[in-house]
Amino acid sequence: MTVFATVAALAVIASACGGGSSKSSTPTSAAGPATTAGIVDKSATDAKPVPGGSITYGLEADTSGGFCLYKAQLAIGGIQVARTIYDTLTMPGGDGKIHPYLAQSVTGSANNTIWTIKLRPNIKFTDNTPLDAATVKENLDHYRKDNQLFVFVFADITAVDVVDPLTVKVTSKVPWTAFPWFLWSSSRLGIMAKAQMESPDCNTKLIGTGPFEFVSWKFGDKFVAKKNPNYWYHDPKTGAQLPYLDQITYVPQEDGAKRTGSLEAGDYQMIHTSDALQTVQIRTDVAAGKLADTESDKYPELGYSMLNVTKAPFNNLAARQAFAYSVDRVTYNKLRNAGILQQASGPFGPGVDGYLAVTGVPNFDPTKAKAAAAQYKQETGKDLTFTISHTADPSTTQDAVLIQQMLKQNGGITTQLNAVPDQSTLINLAIGRQYDAVLWRNNPGADPDTQYVWWHCGNSPAAGTNPNGAAPCDNPVNFGGFNDPVINSDLDKGRSAPLGPARTKIYEEINKRFASQLWNLWSQYTLWTVAYKTSVHNVLGPALPDGAAPFEGLPTGHPVSGLWCDNGQC
Amino acid sequence: MIVRRLIQLIVVLIVVTFFASLLTSFLPGDPVTTIAPFSSAADRAQIRNQLNLNENIVVRYGDWLGHFLTGDMGREYAGTGVRGQAISARIQDSLPRSLLLMLYVQILTLLIAVPLGVYSAYRAGSRFDDLSNGFAFLLLSVPVYVVATLMLLFLSIQNHALPSEGWVALTTNPVEHFKHLAMPVIAITVGQVAIYARLLRSDMVATLQEDYILMAKSKGISDGRVLWRHALRPSSLTLLTVAGLNVGSLIGGALIVEVIFHLNGLGFAISDAINRRQYVALQDYIAVVAIVYVLVNFAVDGLYRVLDPRIRGARIG
Amino acid sequence: MLESADTDVGTAIFGAVTGMDERSEEEVFEKRKMGPLAWLGIGWLAFIVIIAILAPVLPLKNPMLGDYLHPKASVFSSGHLLGSDDSGRDVLSRVIWGARASLLIAFGSVLFGVLIGGFLGLLAGFKGRSTDTALSGVFNIFLAFPQLVLALTLVSVLAPRATSGGVQAGEWTHRIAVVILAVGIVSIPVLGRITRASALSWTQREFVMAARAQGATDKRVMLREVLPNVVPAMLSIALLGVAVVLVLEGALAVFGVSIQEPDPSWGNMIYSQLSNLNSAPAVWIVPSILIFVSVLALNYLGDVVRARFDVRESAL
Repeated sequence: MTVFATVAALAVIASACGGGSSKSSTPTSAAGPATTAGIVDKSATDAKPVPGGSITYGLEADTSGGFCLYKAQLAIGGIQVARTIYDTLTMPGGDGKIHPYLAQSVTGSANNTIWTIKLRPNIKFTDNTPLDAATVKENLDHYRKDNQLFVFVFADITAVDVVDPLTVKVTSKVPWTAFPWFLWSSSRLGIMAKAQMESPDCNTKLIGTGPFEFVSWKFGDKFVAKKNPNYWYHDPKTGAQLPYLDQITYVPQEDGAKRTGSLEAGDYQMIHTSDALQTVQIRTDVAAGKLADTESDKYPELGYSMLNVTKAPFNNLAARQAFAYSVDRVTYNKLRNAGILQQASGPFGPGVDGYLAVTGVPNFDPTKAKAAAAQYKQETGKDLTFTISHTADPSTTQDAVLIQQMLKQNGGITTQLNAVPDQSTLINLAIGRQYDAVLWRNNPGADPDTQYVWWHCGNSPAAGTNPNGAAPCDNPVNFGGFNDPVINSDLDKGRSAPLGPARTKIYEEINKRFASQLWNLWSQYTLWTVAYKTSVHNVLGPALPDGAAPFEGLPTGHPVSGLWCDNGQC
Repeated sequence: MIVRRLIQLIVVLIVVTFFASLLTSFLPGDPVTTIAPFSSAADRAQIRNQLNLNENIVVRYGDWLGHFLTGDMGREYAGTGVRGQAISARIQDSLPRSLLLMLYVQILTLLIAVPLGVYSAYRAGSRFDDLSNGFAFLLLSVPVYVVATLMLLFLSIQNHALPSEGWVALTTNPVEHFKHLAMPVIAITVGQVAIYARLLRSDMVATLQEDYILMAKSKGISDGRVLWRHALRPSSLTLLTVAGLNVGSLIGGALIVEVIFHLNGLGFAISDAINRRQYVALQDYIAVVAIVYVLVNFAVDGLYRVLDPRIRGARIG
Repeated sequence: MLESADTDVGTAIFGAVTGMDERSEEEVFEKRKMGPLAWLGIGWLAFIVIIAILAPVLPLKNPMLGDYLHPKASVFSSGHLLGSDDSGRDVLSRVIWGARASLLIAFGSVLFGVLIGGFLGLLAGFKGRSTDTALSGVFNIFLAFPQLVLALTLVSVLAPRATSGGVQAGEWTHRIAVVILAVGIVSIPVLGRITRASALSWTQREFVMAARAQGATDKRVMLREVLPNVVPAMLSIALLGVAVVLVLEGALAVFGVSIQEPDPSWGNMIYSQLSNLNSAPAVWIVPSILIFVSVLALNYLGDVVRARFDVRESAL
């Protein structure tokens, strides 16, 4: 009987690093500066936590869709807020495995088609209603029927049933090894109270079981939450009541430099950022003792150029190769990321099952780039030219400008830039498959099965068919439209395979397939940094209820239940 | 009289909002996919129905106007089955902020421009006149966002003298309120001073040659008194006019400063509504700006008669 | 709404912005001679316009290509007279190529506004009565609309939106045209009101009434007697307008509707660096200085126009 999905945590290319201020690094190349591979957490301390204090947290963006979670499309700005008000049934741990959190246990049947969720007794929502199986079932049903993305994610679920007031049974069409990971879903699957779900004001009347209680939210202005005095979770090591802080206020500030500036000015006590240049600035402040930070590129998401392969030019492999060979990733990393990020070899980052340091991704080679462009011309009779879409903020714009230049200089390829004013327009572009290439970021690290929804196609061509020229993927959230029989069948196999080396090999094959077919052109793994005043402690959160160490990935935010400040003053 | 004004108000309102609605209907992109990117075709059809997108623009506009005139500003559209935030709540929050910002800007600009303009007129053609003119245009040439960013850098990030962003209500904490607004107000004022000073100066130069001014001087009244007591009032007409005309552009156009300093005023609300294709909200906001603009200019009209006796008997419109 | 005081106010506005107050004409003429500063101003403007036109033949580095070995170069460093940006693109070259975009937009939109707004204003001021009421009403309504929002929306609606397909020929030209149109349209009510005031004032002068009494057609009187007197004032306003639009282009860049990267304009160069002032300071300082000097020059040029053109009464 399998208890949980176990993800074999592969050794990261680094020496052992735990919490505390040790830093492990590995050079990317002889000439380049050192990157961080692993985690650096300056908030860890042995001092005893003191209750009190309030934090203003600068976020990357506000969430226009609101927080009716089963209708929401949460990006990191929304996820961090959601974690403050809601809990998920499961949560990954520092060992890279998934652990029960709000649930007491999540157990799979022998063949993993039936999953039993047992809840903890006596947990109440902030409106004093109990957390029971009926409420959890209602949550899960809403998610799998009413959420535009989770409809696809949970397509394999056939039934969700209440067994007794504290037990829910989930039935799956196929054996689903990593199902407990999906109950976490990057902290998007928070459990809401009935009163919220059934109210027409679902996206403004927030009721959860989380460490903080909703007070108010003005879009574009701030989101205020105050301590939940009856939070069910106590620190497993010390037994102390959580959370320690009295209040958290989230303020959206899309301009990364201003976010850092406001932290330096003292208007914020905490911020997050995935912009390498901001991290460099923050490191200067940290060295000067003005700030502290927590950095992690474990279980990372990654930046990449997503290609639309449903039409010319990227329905042709030579075109994709020409693009890949033209980009000098080392120079790009140096100019755009101050050289501190790690080159991505595939969609699975260090710590994730399926990660490989070498996958066969093409290296920078102007000669090959020009040859591939010439081959494209020979095969189609047209010159290779395309449009690169990107969000209009200054930083991403300069990223796109650099890529455009490299394409021209190294591959002789002329391109057009298309700056898109906001995220939702970009998403529309992607869904409508109206772009050629778009600068994108996705695939946060977790069990590799969680990427199924982004890649799998129901209308897979027969095995052995050349995927170039296949019918576009029928899955609307496979924005690139690639329909690769190898990847499709591997994804299905991986979903149901029991944990172990054989499963790992399946995902490694997917990884290598991406490198040879170049459906996406990987850039660098993101490095998330949470920066804060030196008085703030314990960013990674308390140990999990079963005693496991907290998760060390930051692309999905971090818990706020363990945060505390010196003398209760932030 | 009042009826006439009221009719003018309604006409302006209707034309401006209809134009806004027409213009935004041409914005690229499908509003439905902006709201619900991953939805199914059936869902989208439902959303189109709820938003009246299948009707032509006149019907849609009429529907909005009907609601607005009865005071129902509606809600933002958040998706099927869920209510969006009430637009009136957003207006209640952001309108006072924009109004206060505009008020402070006008006050500060006048505080600087009036003495500058008066003295330049008094010493028309002199060195001071030239220099102050040049200086004012120097200020005009620095874009708002550059001023704002430089101030942020020196006064906030490097020195912690002023807070870097945010809004604190006057009633909550007056000191903090003004500290938070110091930089935004200065950033906008810098670009306005030149124009206001110039306008006042010109009017003043003309007035100073009027017979009644010469008479006052010959009576032995001091220069200062003549300037401030007798010449200033009738010379402020143009300034007043432009200040009134400026209201519309200040409310909506303080957008840059609102974004940089995170003030969340009406300018930001408008730009946000455009980005998220919240058409109903957009029309509500623009209607509100139009109303404020018209009301302010009515007040300006009223002030004319108070300021310049020559106009009192003039034919009204 | 503002008709009641318009006659006197109109004269005042007209006088204010042009400095051509009726009574102080002689004083003004005497005192505003063409001093050295004025010449400097004209010289500067001529200089940047000529350099911008000559950009393709000057020995400049490619403004689009980054010199990866020398990113963020400081001023006067090797090979980069005015430094380079984050990707190593030469600032001197970009600022000269960018001048084309910024100057075209500034002069183009003001020309558009003056031609249309000026014509409408002339018509309104000259004809008076119902024409005036109608046109003034239109101007007032436009002014009720937040102007920056109007410009932004116009550009978003009219601008090219190719999301795929690669290089679009003429994209730069198309965008310049769209921005000129949008800013021009926004400027029409303001320029219209000012021209109207001026035309109103001149129309009531005796020599115009005399010409009408003599039986000349309206059209002839408007174009022969009123227009020549209005033009100098409009010219002066236009120069001020060019200064305003030079600065405004930067505001458009903040919202991403001005010239698109990688093409340079003074506004988008400043904006691209605003987040990281320390990173490559030359990139925003150089265009800022250029805008600042140009605005000052335009101001002095405005004075020159006032001093030189003294069209009063036409011989009858």
